[in-house]
Amino acid sequence: MTIPVVVKTTHLNFSFRNGIKTLDDVNLEVPQGSIYGFLGPNGAGKPTTLRLLLGLLKNQDGKLELFGQQFSGHRLDILRRLGSLIEQPSLYLHLTAKENLEIYQLVYKTGKKRVDEVLDLVGLAQTGRKKARQFSLGMRQRLAIAIALLNQPELLILDEPTNGLDPNGIIETRELIKKLNKEYNTTVIVSSHILNEVEKMATHLGIIHKGRMLFQGPLQELQQMKTRQSMLEIETNDNARAITILSPQYALQQKENLLLLPYGNKQQTAAINQLLVKEGLDVYAIHPRQSDLEQLFIEITSNNI
Amino acid sequence: MSLVIATRAELIKNKRSAAFWLCLIGSAFMPFIFFLTFTLRPDLNYARLAAEPWQAHLGKGWQNFSAFLLPMFVILTCSLIPQVEYKNNTWKQVFASPLSIGDIFFSKYLSIISMVFFLFVMFNVFMLLAGVAADLIHPKYTFLEKAVDWKWLIKMNFKSFISLLAIISIQYWLSLRFRNFIVPIGIGLGLLVSALILMPWEHINKVPYAFPLLSFAGSGGPEAAKSGLLASHEIYSILYFLVFTLLGFADMRFRKERG
Repeated sequence: MTIPVVVKTTHLNFSFRNGIKTLDDVNLEVPQGSIYGFLGPNGAGKPTTLRLLLGLLKNQDGKLELFGQQFSGHRLDILRRLGSLIEQPSLYLHLTAKENLEIYQLVYKTGKKRVDEVLDLVGLAQTGRKKARQFSLGMRQRLAIAIALLNQPELLILDEPTNGLDPNGIIETRELIKKLNKEYNTTVIVSSHILNEVEKMATHLGIIHKGRMLFQGPLQELQQMKTRQSMLEIETNDNARAITILSPQYALQQKENLLLLPYGNKQQTAAINQLLVKEGLDVYAIHPRQSDLEQLFIEITSNNI
Repeated sequence: MSLVIATRAELIKNKRSAAFWLCLIGSAFMPFIFFLTFTLRPDLNYARLAAEPWQAHLGKGWQNFSAFLLPMFVILTCSLIPQVEYKNNTWKQVFASPLSIGDIFFSKYLSIISMVFFLFVMFNVFMLLAGVAADLIHPKYTFLEKAVDWKWLIKMNFKSFISLLAIISIQYWLSLRFRNFIVPIGIGLGLLVSALILMPWEHINKVPYAFPLLSFAGSGGPEAAKSGLLASHEIYSILYFLVFTLLGFADMRFRKERG
């Protein structure tokens, strides 16, 4: 059984007025019920993609589908079913948390009860007559998330939701996203330029760099790729001889004073070590190179430029 | 129906906003000055206000208000209300909510118009209060004995309001166009001053920023009685209003980048 796709873009291209191509053939597929980490360095085209999904930018080229409907022609139907937080929180700072929510409660026609529910959900029920201006950044962010949740959206689009939050705020936001996903089956697109953070909650990943998608798929797939790309690092007193000894069996590369070969398993590492020692070489170091997602992210985004 | 809801949401945004305080304080400013001169120097005012106290007081008030303060407050209000969205970075949330572009454009428009209406109501209330309060302090005044010419007052308000529609539509469009609110205010005040300089011109009835003063000028005397309900500049005001409303809406509707 195939999982339905909530967001699908086909050959999405976008250029700003200066003519620079911001998006180049972006094919996004966000499965229903997933937490889709949309990852890329600053300037990769994340906000542009998300703004296109919300109709904040006019689509120039390519197809844009949400909930199986074309965006153009179904703008209101689509927007009714999603919640969003783009860049910094959109709040009326001269109003209280409740008044901010009342504005959107009218727009989404959710009923007044829902305002208290979301305030409780994000932990802002006690703010009373305090204006949003007096809120900390973390509180503002939570209020913005509360607005995005008002209409119990099927899809939540969050652009860098943990930007500027303290470690505690980051953890709280992450837990909230996971909770929404688990309890209400909300599909979440969360963009970030910090891999570490996305890795902790995402089920699926899309990596974008310079307007092009470099990877898209379940998180495990990326982790498998990571294993495939892992290398064993060896440092000896005579690398030239080590190459002669090992090259019949292994595909070796030399990088400065290190030898690199594809990492197999622990036993293989031990065998290589024994072989080198038996030949009278001093082995200074032998270990699998730290090739976590972070490393991979750097590799993916730098190799394909 | 959705426009009513969107407008209600807009009105919440105006709570305690700069535009709200401007209209409240702006409407009280001149009546308060009148009140001060009435109470501190009654000797200068008794004679002038003896026969027709309300007509003299309200006439003087509306004359000053129409020429400069009223259009200026309207220019400021038209900039401050959209400015709430720019300042708080909320346009993107507005455009990403399930509201049609028409609802977004016209709900804000209606909220501006209702703020101008509020300015009108409060100005009248404060003008009347200034007269009554002065009389209570110095009973020699005759405000409490003489009747207010309600017919004149309502007509004055109505004609002023119509005469402002042109300015409202132009300023609203400018405020949506320019993120920096100084730009529409600067343009508006510049045009207002130019219009006042142009007053003697025979085509002044086609210069929008002169309309409020023209409406005041046409509110009394035999000329006004002949001219029917709307003077020529008031009809122009409605035409300008229709054209610039359409332009402003088309501009928002076809803009490629929102929020």
